[in-house]
Amino acid sequence: MIDGLAYAVIAVAAVGVVWAVISTARNRTTSWALLGWVALSELVTLVQSVIGFVRLAGGFRPAEYATTVGYLIGILVLLPLATVWALTDRSRWAPAVLAVAEAGVLAMTLRLLVLWTPGG
Amino acid sequence: MAEPRRVGNPERRTNRGPGRILVAVYGVFALAATTRAVVQLLIQYDRAPLAYWLSLVSGLVYVVATITLGLGTRASRRVAIGAIAFELVGVLVVGTLTVADPALFPDATVWSTYGIGYGFVPLVLPFLGLAWLWRTRPNR
Repeated sequence: MIDGLAYAVIAVAAVGVVWAVISTARNRTTSWALLGWVALSELVTLVQSVIGFVRLAGGFRPAEYATTVGYLIGILVLLPLATVWALTDRSRWAPAVLAVAEAGVLAMTLRLLVLWTPGG
Repeated sequence: MAEPRRVGNPERRTNRGPGRILVAVYGVFALAATTRAVVQLLIQYDRAPLAYWLSLVSGLVYVVATITLGLGTRASRRVAIGAIAFELVGVLVVGTLTVADPALFPDATVWSTYGIGYGFVPLVLPFLGLAWLWRTRPNR
């Protein structure tokens, strides 16, 4: 992991949360623009996980090794699944689902930042 | 004229309206807890096996709740009630045990100290789940 990239993931996810919540509040369903933003969010998250695994393969051992690996994998599945769940519904609640997933990406990245410290 | 409230009215299914958010929140916990527990069991089993098995159980309970709330049928809501009741008991029992004896589990679980590591969402979630099942209950 690179701190700067993690902050980028967090920033993109935060914008995604706000955007999706506003869509729900305005009684709108998921727009193509919002879906594009979610795709961007997934892309930076993917880059983060790949870099994380490259560092782990390079011998870096965080204190909570298993949790770190679990989060690096689990965080990638959130947005695609939420997108499927959001697209099977055309009501105002579809973007709210994306908001939950983006909040999940945000929370897991915050946790990963804390986890990414060397341990024994 | 009164709103017809027959069984199968889409408004009263668990997977409609705000219920979609609830399914999404359960899904996030299902994923986070299950993948974490599986990886812990696979690569550092001996460190805290009891805590990891417990994490896996809690993760699978979230998986069952996610799927059954998401299906929104009459049969699936019965399973959802069971899963979420189990979840409620689990977070209260494990939460209380870990407050009473912090050394019980060498590694944290989702339900340790009532879900403090997850912003206490694990404590709130079963109440929301049961409230939603009550609100969407079929009329007799």
